[in-house]
Amino acid sequence: MKQGKEEKTTNQAFSDVITSRLGGETITLCYQCGTCASSCPVARITPRFNPREVIKLSLLGEKDEVLSGDAIWLCCSCYNCQERCPQKVEIADVIYALRNIAVKEGNIPNIYSEFAAELINEGRIVPISKFLEKKRPDLGLPSLKPVGVDALRKIFSITGFDKIKQEKAEAS
Amino acid sequence: MNEVKVGVFLSDCGNQLSKILDFNALTNYVKDVSDVVLVKRNSEFWRGEGLRIIVDAVKGGKINRVVVAESLPKLSEVSIVQAVEEAGLNPYLVEVIDLKDHCAWPHRETPKEATEKAKAMLLAATERAKLLEPIEKLEFPALKSVLVIGGGIAGMQAAVDLADLGFEVDLVEKEPFLGGLAARAGRFFPTDDCAICIQSPASDVKTITHTSRKCVYRSGFTEIPNLNILANSKVVGVEGVPGNYKVTIEKKPRYVNELKCVRCDLCTPVCPVEVPDEYNAKLKTRKAIYMITPNVHPPVYVIDESVCKFRDCAKCVEVCPTDAIELDQKIERVTLNVGSIIVATGFQEFDSSVIKEYHYGDYPDVITNLELARMIDGFGPTGGTIIKPSDRKPAKKIVMVQCVGSRDRRWNPYCSSICCMISLKHASLIKTAYPDTDVTVCYIDIRTTGREHEYYYERAREMGVKFVKGRPSEISRDPETGRLIVDVEDELLKRFLELDADLVVLAPAMVPAEGTKELAEILGLELEEDGFFKEYNAKLRPTETKLRGMYLCGGATFPKDAPTTSLHAHSAAMKAAKFLITGKIVKDQRTAVVNEEYCGDCEFCPVTCPYGAISLEPTSEDHIVARISDLLCEGCGICVGTCPLNAIELRHSRPNQMLAQMKALMSINGTSKPLILTICCSECGHAAVDSSGMAMMQYPANVRVMKVPCTGILQVHQFLEAFKVGAQGVMVVGCKSDGCHYEVGSQQAEKKVALARMLLKEYGIEPERLEMFNMVYIEGDKFAEAAQTMTERLKKLGKLQLMEGS
Repeated sequence: MKQGKEEKTTNQAFSDVITSRLGGETITLCYQCGTCASSCPVARITPRFNPREVIKLSLLGEKDEVLSGDAIWLCCSCYNCQERCPQKVEIADVIYALRNIAVKEGNIPNIYSEFAAELINEGRIVPISKFLEKKRPDLGLPSLKPVGVDALRKIFSITGFDKIKQEKAEAS
Repeated sequence: MNEVKVGVFLSDCGNQLSKILDFNALTNYVKDVSDVVLVKRNSEFWRGEGLRIIVDAVKGGKINRVVVAESLPKLSEVSIVQAVEEAGLNPYLVEVIDLKDHCAWPHRETPKEATEKAKAMLLAATERAKLLEPIEKLEFPALKSVLVIGGGIAGMQAAVDLADLGFEVDLVEKEPFLGGLAARAGRFFPTDDCAICIQSPASDVKTITHTSRKCVYRSGFTEIPNLNILANSKVVGVEGVPGNYKVTIEKKPRYVNELKCVRCDLCTPVCPVEVPDEYNAKLKTRKAIYMITPNVHPPVYVIDESVCKFRDCAKCVEVCPTDAIELDQKIERVTLNVGSIIVATGFQEFDSSVIKEYHYGDYPDVITNLELARMIDGFGPTGGTIIKPSDRKPAKKIVMVQCVGSRDRRWNPYCSSICCMISLKHASLIKTAYPDTDVTVCYIDIRTTGREHEYYYERAREMGVKFVKGRPSEISRDPETGRLIVDVEDELLKRFLELDADLVVLAPAMVPAEGTKELAEILGLELEEDGFFKEYNAKLRPTETKLRGMYLCGGATFPKDAPTTSLHAHSAAMKAAKFLITGKIVKDQRTAVVNEEYCGDCEFCPVTCPYGAISLEPTSEDHIVARISDLLCEGCGICVGTCPLNAIELRHSRPNQMLAQMKALMSINGTSKPLILTICCSECGHAAVDSSGMAMMQYPANVRVMKVPCTGILQVHQFLEAFKVGAQGVMVVGCKSDGCHYEVGSQQAEKKVALARMLLKEYGIEPERLEMFNMVYIEGDKFAEAAQTMTERLKKLGKLQLMEGS
C-alpha cells in the first residue's frame, strides 16, 4: 500500500515535470484520438516511434520507458501532428521537452553527443571529412575553412549547453 | 409619519436556546431600547399561539414594527409576514433574525459571549426595523400572447402547447417552410420514426386521445385558430418590457399568394431556371419556383428571388390557373404585440470545409451526416438509395468520421452530443436497407448516454458495422481510380489503416444557427462562449433567461436530440404561460430608486445593471438622469454600489438602515476578542452562515453578521464606516464569483474590497483587516474557518488605531 502510494507521487511528478518545461505545457490535454500517430511519417515506417504512445506513457508516468528508449529521438520535427491535433497539444514541442528532460537525466544517444562535441570543437555538426574536401572542388564549391568557435562557446557557456555535454560524459 | 412602535418577539425554541442564552437578560435589555413598546417570549412565534400574539399586537395597533427572533427564519418569515399583512400592517415592516443558527448554536461553548452577541443582534434588528418604510405591491399588465421565434420541432411544440392553453401565438420562421433542421433529418432516434411526426394540438377535430401523433401536414397544427404562422419572416426589432413587447417582423415576399395557390404544380415545369437544390444536398436541382418536399407547411410554392428572371420571363404567371403568382410583392413589415418571447432558433452543421485535410467541399464524395440523411429519406433526392455524388453510382463502402470540428479546440471545444447517435442511426438504416454495404465508423469515443441509445450501438455491431478507434488524419483520393482513402490509426491494434471508400460521411459539430448573434443583439440576450444562447441557470432554469419574459428552448441553447428538445419546448411554454396566465405581473417595490437631484451625466449604472432595468433620460434642465424600471429591477443594488454620486438607493436597504445596523452590531462587546463585522449577501453568503450554525460548527461570538441583498450593493466608504463604528475587521461573504445570484454582484464586490484595501493602506490601516470570501451553502465549515482565521489574524494585529478626526 505504502509503496503504491509512493509510486503514484513519482508518476504525478513526471507529468508535472513535463508541463513545467517549455514546450511541454499542453501534454495533459491529450485525449488519445490518434490523429498525430496517423499523421506521422516516422510512425508509418517504424513501430519504434508513435507520438500518441509517447504521450500516453508520459501521462501514465512511465518515465524510464519514455526517457531511456530511443522513441523520442526519432521524431523528425515535421510538425504534421501539431498542425492537426484537435486538442492543440503541441506534440512536436512536447517531444523536445522530453528530449531536454532525457538529456538532463543523462540519456542522450551517442550520435547527439557526438554532434554536440563536434559543435563545440569545430563549430559544425558534420565534420569535414577528406571525402568532402575532395568532392567540393568537383562541384565547384570553395574549400571549407575552420570557423571561429569563440562566439559559439560563449553562447554554450551561458546557456549551459557545454555542461550538458559534460554531464553526459560523466554519466557514460 | 406615525410614531414608531416596535414589538420584539423572542422565541426560545422550546427552551432549547435558553440553555445557552440568558433570555431574562435579553428581555430586560430589549425592553429599554428606545421605541420598543412590547417584548414577548414564547417557544415559537411563527404558528399557533405564538403567531396569534403577534397578530393581536398588530391588530390592536399596539405596534407598527415587528422584530422576531425565530429559528428557521425563511420558513417562519413567510408565515409571519403573511399573518402581519393580513392583520393590516405593511409586510415589509417585519424583521426576522435567527438567534439559533446565527448565535446560540455556533457559540454554545461561550454562553456569556453568545448572550452579548444576541443583544447586539436584537438591537441591530430593532434599529433597522425603526427605519424601515412600507413597500407597495405593483401591478403591470401582461398580454396573453407569445411570439415563438423558429419553426423547427422546438418552436412548433412550444407553439402548440401555448395555443392549446388559449394564448395567442405567433410563430416566426426565417425559411419559406416550417420544419427546420429536423425536417431534413428524415428519421429520428431513439424511436426511428419520422422527423416530421409531431404531437397533435388539442384543437384538432380528429384528436380524441392523447395517443395522437401525426405528420405535421395532417396534424391540424396549421389550423389552430389562435396560432399565426409567419414563414419567410424574421424579427428585426423588439421594444417594450416583459409582458408588453412590441416586435417588428420583416416578411420577405413569397411572390405566391398563400390563399390562392392550389399546388397544381403547373408552374414548375415551365420555369426555365434550374439551380442546385441546397435543401437536398445539391443532389438534385430545383426550379426558381419551388417547394422543398411535397409534405411541407405552408403548402404553397415560393419563388427564389436570387435566381428568378421575374418580368423577363413570367412563364409561371401565364400558366397559373388561380392567378396566385404575384411578382410585385414587396417586403412587408408587421408589428406584433406580445407578452413574452420564446427563442427556438436551433442549430446547424459546422462548415467542415475549414478542416482542409478532410477535403469536404473539394471531393464530392465526402459528405456530411445531414446530406446522408437526405439520401436515406424516401422523399429525398435519391429516393432512399445511397450514392456517390461524383458518379451517382451506389456507394458500397462507406466510412464515417466522428467529431469533425467537435471536441476540437481549434473550432468547437465541446462535444456536440448527438452526432454519435446520428451516425449509429444512419449506419443501422443503411445496413437494414442494403445489408451488403460495408460501413466503418471511425471514432474517438462513442457516446450513447440516453435511454435506448446503447441499443443502437449494440444493433449496429450485430448488423456488422465496423468500428475503428481512431480519428482519421487525412482523407485523400486515388488519382487513378478516384476512390477515397481514409488514413487512420486503429489504436487498439496499434496499426495504421488505409481504409478505401466510395463515400466518406463526416459527423460535423453542431453550431448555433445562422443569425443567432444578430437575434441576440435585437433581443438583448447573452450568448455563451460557444455561441449558443445563455440560459439563466443551467441546472435549475434551463429554459429561462435573465430577462423575465424571454425564454429559450431546443437547440438554441446547445445541440439536442429530439426527446430533449421536446422537453425543453414544453418547459419554455410552461414558463411563458406561468408568467402571463393571470394577465398581470405582480411585483413589490423593493427596487432601486434614483435621487435625481444628485444623479447626472454619467453612464455607470445602466452598463452595470445585469437586467437592463436602467435607462438614461434627459430631464427638462438639460441634463441626463437614470430612470429605473420597477418592472425590470430585481432589487440587487449593484447600481447602488456602482453610483459614484451616491444617487441611488434600494428602498429596502437604504444606507441609513445599513449604518444603523452596523453601529448596533458593533456597539456591544461581550468578549476580549476583536469585533468583526461580517457583511453577507442574502443568498449563498447568508446560507453559508446558516449552515455552519445548523451543523453547530463553533466560531467566536465576536463575529457579527449583517445581511445585504447582494454584496454588489456595497460601497467603498461603507467599509471605512464599519471600522469607524468599532469593527476591528470586516469580512465580506458573497456567492462564488461565477455563481452570483445577480450575475456580477460578487465580482463587483471583489473590486470594491480590493480598492478599499488600497485606501486602508493609505490611511495606515492594515489592509488584511478587510477580506472578501466566496462560498456556497454547503461550505459552512469554510465560513467557521474563515471566522476563526480572521479572529486570530486580528488578535495578532492588535487594536485598530484610528487617526483623530478620521
